[in-house]
Amino acid sequence: MEFEPMEDFDQKLKRSFERWPAPPDLKRRLMENRRRRKERPQWFALPFAVRVAVSLCLLAGVLAALYGGIAANQAEQRRKGEEARQQVLLALRITNHALDHMNRQLAAHNRAHQE
Amino acid sequence: MKSWIVAFVFAAAALAVPALAQTAQLPAPPPVEKDLAARASSVDEITLSKNMLAAAAALFMNSKDKDEAATSQLVERLDGIYVRDYEFAKEGQFSIEQIEQLRKYFETSDWTPIVRDRDRKTGESSDIMVKMVNGKSSGLFILDVEPKEISIVLILGPVGMEELGKLKELAFLGIMEGTHHTGPDNSK
Repeated sequence: MEFEPMEDFDQKLKRSFERWPAPPDLKRRLMENRRRRKERPQWFALPFAVRVAVSLCLLAGVLAALYGGIAANQAEQRRKGEEARQQVLLALRITNHALDHMNRQLAAHNRAHQE
Repeated sequence: MKSWIVAFVFAAAALAVPALAQTAQLPAPPPVEKDLAARASSVDEITLSKNMLAAAAALFMNSKDKDEAATSQLVERLDGIYVRDYEFAKEGQFSIEQIEQLRKYFETSDWTPIVRDRDRKTGESSDIMVKMVNGKSSGLFILDVEPKEISIVLILGPVGMEELGKLKELAFLGIMEGTHHTGPDNSK
């Protein structure tokens, strides 16, 4: 009978039951982790009212930014439109002036021909 | 393979040409303009593309004024406005050759002259040309020369004699207040 494999198993078992000293900074690291976890705000740990308030504030911020962007864009469009409007009015005035001068000139020529 | 590439290039060009032709483009300023602008005592240069005209038309439309609403209808159909007005402090600041250069620059085969008036004594002249596309007016060009003033007006888009009449009506109504150009009845 051979008991060698059994002895080998016994050895392994003994070794695994042996008490190993913990790394020197293990406790510090564990405590550190625990402290950090406690410090981190837990969204669902907050009261419902606070969560609603924070959500509303965020929503209001996003909406305000969106509205501000749209309003700024509209103001820019209005400014460009007003500039173009003034240019159109000036163009119409110059056109009218040219047409008026042409009419005067043609009328003067007609009068000269009649005379 | 080469023949396929050539065929593709031709096909692309054939598609692109009508697409470009559909939108009337404002011309580049003629070279003589620089010289005229340098000598003029007062210069008004207006170049409005279709986008700018659309922006202006939207503002006119929002106005409660009936005249402005009428202007909006007139303006929103246009493709572009190109206006130059040069006023000179004294006579003889520009030559007949320069006026001819201007006339030749704008007078292409698309344009049909409808008014051509010359006064040899004073050197004054007036030209009106219309651009006809498929029997419809799609542009108006006015070159008006006075001893101390040159006005160039190029309006692209459906503008005919009826619209010209409207322009005249609008110009004499209150909506022109606020523009700094001196009126036709004012002494220059």
